[in-house]
Amino acid sequence: MIEFDHVTRTYGPKPAVTDLSLAIPRGELFALLGPNGAGKTTTIKMLVGLLRPSRGVVRICGHDLVKEARSAHLHTGYVPDEPTLYDKLTGREFLWFIADMFGMPRHLAEQKIDREIEHFELAEFADDLSESYSLGMKQRLVFAAALLHDPDVLVLDEPMVGLDPRSVRIVKDLLKSLTQLGMTVFMSTHTLAMAEEMADRVGIMVRGQLRFLGTIAELRAQVAMETSLENLYLELTTARSTP
Amino acid sequence: MKNVERRNVEGRGMPGMLLLAGMAGRSVRESHSESCRLTPVEVESRVFSRLRATIAWQTLRSMFSGARLRLALVVLLSIVFWVSLYGLFVEGFSFLESIHAEVISLLFNAFFSSLMVMLVFSTGILLYGTMYCSPEARMLLTLPARSEAIFSHKFQEAMWFSSWGFVLLGSPMLVAYGFVRGSPWTYYLLLLPFMVSFVVIPATLGGICCMAAVAWLGRLRLHVLTILSVGVCVGAVWLAWSLFQSGSVTGGSAEWFDQVMARLSVTEQRVLPSWWLSSGLIEAARATDRPEARLASLVEAVKFLAVLVSNGMLLQLLARLLARSSYRTGFSQLTGEMPARRQRRMAWTDRVLSAAGTARGRPLRLLLVKDLRLFRRDISQWSQFVIFFGLLGLYFFNLRSFNYNTAYASMISFLNLAVAGLILSTFTTRFVYPMISLEGRRFWILGLLPVHRDQIVWSKFLFSFFGGLLPCCGLLFLSDTMLGISRSLLWVHEIACVVLCMGLSGIAVGLGARMPDLRESSPAKISAGFGGTLCLVLSALFIMSVVIIAALPTHLAMAAKAFGGGGPPPTGFLGWASGPQGSATSLLLIVVLGFIAAFVPLELGLRSFRRLEP
Repeated sequence: MIEFDHVTRTYGPKPAVTDLSLAIPRGELFALLGPNGAGKTTTIKMLVGLLRPSRGVVRICGHDLVKEARSAHLHTGYVPDEPTLYDKLTGREFLWFIADMFGMPRHLAEQKIDREIEHFELAEFADDLSESYSLGMKQRLVFAAALLHDPDVLVLDEPMVGLDPRSVRIVKDLLKSLTQLGMTVFMSTHTLAMAEEMADRVGIMVRGQLRFLGTIAELRAQVAMETSLENLYLELTTARSTP
Repeated sequence: MKNVERRNVEGRGMPGMLLLAGMAGRSVRESHSESCRLTPVEVESRVFSRLRATIAWQTLRSMFSGARLRLALVVLLSIVFWVSLYGLFVEGFSFLESIHAEVISLLFNAFFSSLMVMLVFSTGILLYGTMYCSPEARMLLTLPARSEAIFSHKFQEAMWFSSWGFVLLGSPMLVAYGFVRGSPWTYYLLLLPFMVSFVVIPATLGGICCMAAVAWLGRLRLHVLTILSVGVCVGAVWLAWSLFQSGSVTGGSAEWFDQVMARLSVTEQRVLPSWWLSSGLIEAARATDRPEARLASLVEAVKFLAVLVSNGMLLQLLARLLARSSYRTGFSQLTGEMPARRQRRMAWTDRVLSAAGTARGRPLRLLLVKDLRLFRRDISQWSQFVIFFGLLGLYFFNLRSFNYNTAYASMISFLNLAVAGLILSTFTTRFVYPMISLEGRRFWILGLLPVHRDQIVWSKFLFSFFGGLLPCCGLLFLSDTMLGISRSLLWVHEIACVVLCMGLSGIAVGLGARMPDLRESSPAKISAGFGGTLCLVLSALFIMSVVIIAALPTHLAMAAKAFGGGGPPPTGFLGWASGPQGSATSLLLIVVLGFIAAFVPLELGLRSFRRLEP
């Protein structure tokens, strides 16, 4: 479903991601962890087509993000860390815009908009202008928009920022259900507990390189220490990242 | 809807179950193939059109429900502006028709060609902001939208923003021209298509330049843009200099007028869209009693329109091709650029401000240093400041060429004072008024500092006052020197200028503190609200009052001299008002007015700001 094939991205002379090779199969929830400046956001931006790799290829469902960007986007839902909405559109109007952009037939779009409004409990404010929304409301609406077309791949950049505990619970349950149904989820997060609770596999990035790839159990086994995941993570990202 | 809401309420206690129940109807692979497809071009275009229409409608609705006063003021002022311009142009065209009808073609060419250059730059800059730096562009690029469709969407928005001034300024001019020429109804019918098809050409050129610069010039684009801007400015200075450098010829004389017109003919080039537009409009406006001649003119006009439309369409096609091949690449390149390294060394102004003065005033000075840094680093602020005051300086610098008599020079000097004040008022409204509101999101920082809230307000006032003082007083000095104004009148102007800077700063900062919008992050939106409109209106009234009071004694004295002939000097009120006592009283009045305009709004703002709960 998602494939990074020897991907490198530089900012001027500075490498942000170096020779990243990674394949995430259908139905897997993958969490990308790493300290600030590790290259997580660059990886996410390449995955949603906002940045082009300096070298290598990124594919979604077999579509090259550079050569077949539109086809790749058709299979992708994206929830950015900072939700972007049109202030002068209501939540419902925004969902209609997204449905139209994905070429959904009217009757189907109507059903799916109602479905997402129900799942994310948007009904109370779906017909208000989004300029009046709180950060949490905006984030829920962006989730609804990202899932409206039932994407094969969902990309999440720090998805829990701004959500209240109830919404966090909704999202967690939703992600579990979606992966069971075959959706692939690629998530970047700082929250170790969330990765531990949700992810099938984790990747830990340090200075643009993937330092670890595997399950949480494998991570514990690799470091072979009787300690918490937080200590393992700090061990990986601090000690080894020192030049 | 009700059904959905009811089910939500039922599901409140167990979101997980609700979701799992909802998931039963969701099958990723099946529903994806059923429900999603790449949209054809025309559907995509319709979706974006619908988006713009919905946003425009919702914006209008919000204005009707929340900002009626502002809307009424805008409509009223626009009507007044339009009608005044129309009257002015009717007079102007009647005068020109009576002396030399051919001049109109030259004036049209000069006006439309300068407009063309401005539209290329303004649309290019607007598109750069909206296509490459906006969150909306980032969102649209993650959707399965064509690059060229995103370009078209943003282009239409940018074209509207950059050309609405042309509609407001150009339509009364062109309608007045038709009225004076006694044009047939077809002229009025063709006006809008002519204006729109003309605007599309420079706007598209601006878009092409913008995309090409981002895609192919990389970091060099800033240098290229700077060189280009300098080139255009030098060209404008050269043109202005050559137009008004008339040596011994008296400004406003027939000989001077002929010289100016001869030099303006440089804009009359057949390859320029401005010439197609001018020629087409002149043909369409041609009034004749002979039906065959009327038809021939109409056909000629339609041919020019066809040239404009076909060129506009060709450029649009090229722009879309360029967007298809380069937009995503350019966006990626720009996103991947490293931000310029900030200078760590402190600017000398910051060092002087931080170190000078007493320890008690240090917090206030540090706030000033912070605002000064933000101003220096915000290109949109200082570039507009430099452009507007630069153009004003250019105009003042050319005043010497006109050789005015004393009365005329004095009148122009006061008009220049008013213009400097009006330009300053647009800056205080656009940039100073929103300053307190913009502290909203950082209020927790200021709130936790050992700084009295009054000092925050005072720092904004001092920033605005001293920031406006230097350019305005300097420019007025230049204007008066070029006009050969007496030293005593120069002092009157300088005092009036200080009063204007003080009053305008007080109005903007005081109202900004009295009516802050702490949730809004866009200064443009803050200044476009009710408070910003009120600030602009009060500023205009204040400027008019100060200029009229300051000008009255001088002009009464001149009137008395002009109408008195060689007789005795005037007595009574006229004698008092036109004498030294009158001048002293007018100065005292404007100073008092300045203090009232500055400190009443400031006091209101300070009181309100002390009680503010963010």
